[in-house]
Amino acid sequence: MKVITTIGVTKVYNPDKIPVRALNGVDLRIEQGEFTAIVGPSGSGKTTLLNVIGGLDRPTSGDVDIGGADIDAMSDNKLIDFRKQHIGFVFQAYNLIPVLTARENVEFVMLLQKRPKQERHDRAEELLRAVGLADKMDKRPSELSGGQQQRVAIARALAPKPDFILADEPTANLDSVSTANLLDIMARLNKEENITFVFSTHDQRVIDRARRVITLVDGKVASDEVRG
Amino acid sequence: MVVISAVVIGIWAAISLSGFATGMIKSYVNNAVQNIISHIQVHQPEFLEEYDVEYYLPDAPAVEQVIRSEPGVKAVSVRSLSSAMISSAKGARGVRIKGIVPEDEAQVNALNENVKEGEYLSAEGKNAILVSVDLAKKLNVKVRSKVVLTFQGLDGEITAAAFRIVGLFDTGNNPFDEAYVFVRREDLNRLLEPTDGHKYGVAPGALAHEIALMVDDVRSVDAVAARLREKLPGLDVETYRQLSPDLDLYEGQMTSISILYLTIILLALVFGIINTMLMAVLERIKELGMLMAIGMNKFRVFIMIVFETILLGLVAMPIGLLLGYLTISYVQSHGIDLSTYANALEDYGLSAVIYFEIEPVVYWQVAVGVFLTAILASIYPAWKAIKLRPVEALHKI
Repeated sequence: MKVITTIGVTKVYNPDKIPVRALNGVDLRIEQGEFTAIVGPSGSGKTTLLNVIGGLDRPTSGDVDIGGADIDAMSDNKLIDFRKQHIGFVFQAYNLIPVLTARENVEFVMLLQKRPKQERHDRAEELLRAVGLADKMDKRPSELSGGQQQRVAIARALAPKPDFILADEPTANLDSVSTANLLDIMARLNKEENITFVFSTHDQRVIDRARRVITLVDGKVASDEVRG
Repeated sequence: MVVISAVVIGIWAAISLSGFATGMIKSYVNNAVQNIISHIQVHQPEFLEEYDVEYYLPDAPAVEQVIRSEPGVKAVSVRSLSSAMISSAKGARGVRIKGIVPEDEAQVNALNENVKEGEYLSAEGKNAILVSVDLAKKLNVKVRSKVVLTFQGLDGEITAAAFRIVGLFDTGNNPFDEAYVFVRREDLNRLLEPTDGHKYGVAPGALAHEIALMVDDVRSVDAVAARLREKLPGLDVETYRQLSPDLDLYEGQMTSISILYLTIILLALVFGIINTMLMAVLERIKELGMLMAIGMNKFRVFIMIVFETILLGLVAMPIGLLLGYLTISYVQSHGIDLSTYANALEDYGLSAVIYFEIEPVVYWQVAVGVFLTAILASIYPAWKAIKLRPVEALHKI
């Protein structure tokens, strides 16, 4: 059972000049298979929390434990390796590599993992089919709509078979049809493959579909609601 | 694109500049060798120090024979020399007279081609003289004017004789032009040799101070000189580099000058590449952040930037080399006409038209230099890239 645990996590930006407390003692436990939204007003610390539990950023104090690994104790390169194996990211701005096709973007992460060519090829195809892009595999990001690019990003995040997918405002740039589409795909993957999804979001459409909603206010957990 | 253009222009400039410098130096050296010094000269050891008529070559006809029979020798000119005063109605100047056999001299240097007015020396007529255009101007004389040469004979007596100018020459080397006049050797010898010439051990008409020769292949100069030294003990056999150490210096400098140009240009290039690659890194901060977020480690990011830079260099290199090669080839055959500055150039013994030339090794130096430069210049941007923290990079706009 892969679990993310944070104990008394704080994150202070600019500790020497004008300190900004982005996280102010967050205790959380996110179980495998959750479909969780982290919500809250701007500046409440959603993105920071996501970065910290994804190992993109280190907490100022407190412990972060991802699937039994203490990421505080890891060197930068170890952490990069750890992310590569266990965590998939989906970004608000998609962040696909513009010169690569959809398929190549998905394969790229597996290339970093040194997976054999055939496996990369098959898995990329399988994932792009799963996100409904079977006919767009050889298109570059510039030839895809925002929703399609975000679906490529999800396929890319899934490629290394991560334990967790962390998505930072994944629907912020999408219209409602694309958003619904994307949420369907994520919900299905969550259900069928038991992949943990954690979003930070403002988007009511996302919040409505989440099974657990953690609300942050001023860097603290203000409410934690688990729905049926 | 910017990096590629910068590298292309840099390579082109390095090759062209090096070609220009080499061309200038070769022009200077060739000018000096062909018009003035020739490849090898043979003298009596004391002659070059004292420049006195009494240090003539003992048994010049025999020495000439030895030289002419030496393989690799293309042309030989036997000369009598004397310091003299040349005077016209306007004034007088000190000069050196070269007594030459016109046909032989024409084989050794380009004097006959350098006659700009009048004619080259011929077998006809007595006491004909060639002076340079510059000297003629200073003496206010023209073709067919008479000048008087005053000099010391072998017996120490001062002799004077009137010569008629048959032609005016211009070698393109002003210091030389003003210092030398040419007459026929038989005329000069008749005046130098006293009537009782036998006393000096010189057969009538055989007096000679200098034998100049050209070899078939300039690279064999040292070998030919060494063989002649063996066969002509007691005489000074010197190559153009020994006769004119400045030529040796210039020739030696050719390589260092092209390396110097290359270094300066590559230094400029380093900063150009660093600058553009840094821009490329900053432009792609988000992409790099994403790559690191999804698991590209620092070493790979570093290597990626270094490879990208090298690749740009490798794309640019052949284009630059080709452009440089084309420039050199064009200017090698057509030349750059600097006639506007001809006077200044000729004061330094340079021709007004410079033909680019380049040692083939320069292309290699440039290629290797650019390759190393690209590696060197990629390090800082690559280091900058791995210092990025993914979380910050991702949120940069």
